[in-house]
Amino acid sequence: MKTNDVILQTGTKVVFFIIFLFSIHIFFAGHFAPGGGFVGGLLTTAAIVLLLLAFDLKTVQKALPFNFMIVVAVGLLLALGTAAGSILFDVPFFTHAYDDFNLPLFGVSSLHTAMIFDAGVYLVVVGSTITMIQTIGGDS
Amino acid sequence: MAFQILLNFFIALVWMFLSSSMTVTTFVIGYLIGFILLLMMRRFFHERLYIERLWAAIKLTFLFIRELIMSNISVLRLVLRPKLDIQPRIFALPTDLEQDWEITLLSSLITLTPGTIVVHVSDDQNILYVHAIDADDVDDAIDSIKNTFEKAIKEVSRP
Repeated sequence: MKTNDVILQTGTKVVFFIIFLFSIHIFFAGHFAPGGGFVGGLLTTAAIVLLLLAFDLKTVQKALPFNFMIVVAVGLLLALGTAAGSILFDVPFFTHAYDDFNLPLFGVSSLHTAMIFDAGVYLVVVGSTITMIQTIGGDS
Repeated sequence: MAFQILLNFFIALVWMFLSSSMTVTTFVIGYLIGFILLLMMRRFFHERLYIERLWAAIKLTFLFIRELIMSNISVLRLVLRPKLDIQPRIFALPTDLEQDWEITLLSSLITLTPGTIVVHVSDDQNILYVHAIDADDVDDAIDSIKNTFEKAIKEVSRP
């Protein structure tokens, strides 16, 4: 019994981009406004889960051919590397540095190493949640 | 349609580079000039001018708002009636729309107007099964949907 999911799938193809964009926005808003790596990662996961609900596991794995355990490892390395980088400058562990740079497209923007740590958190959250869902959902 | 919009954007960009000022105002002026050029060259396109499809989409939006208000009032009258003499039905609505997004749009419009809900789309996407709260005459209901929403969607999607 195969049902016709045309409405769900067409809706998903539109809504997925909106959720993904919003997750990126939330990730970058983390310093001065509510948001950050954890919430952004969960929203990205939500977008991918919506894809998994509308299509099937194999299609989504073909579309996103990442090994999500490696994504977790990369995220942990980023976070640890950001924390350990402060040792090289003879300051305590986890001390962050920031400065104002004049970027060509964004104008004067302040770059902070906490952003890299946040990216690590983001990758860990996305990788671990998708790994859980794929492990439970897949039957292999 | 997409090609024409891209061409219009490209003309606007070229206009910005020619007048060497990267402001929104210059872009808007370039866009208008590009639109006039497209209007002059419309015989060379295989499709309709994109402004017609845009206008059809706007008309569809207003048609939807009108239908929404009308059907809300009719459902309100059904609810407030002392005696409940309604005739609920599920009927098959044959449709000529082919693309996925057209089917989705039609189903959403039917569902969002109160009193009718799309419950199923057949596997070959030729028939929508619609549940109506009060349909005395099935042919009448089919005709009304076909003449309003389906016609407007066809008007939008016609190349």
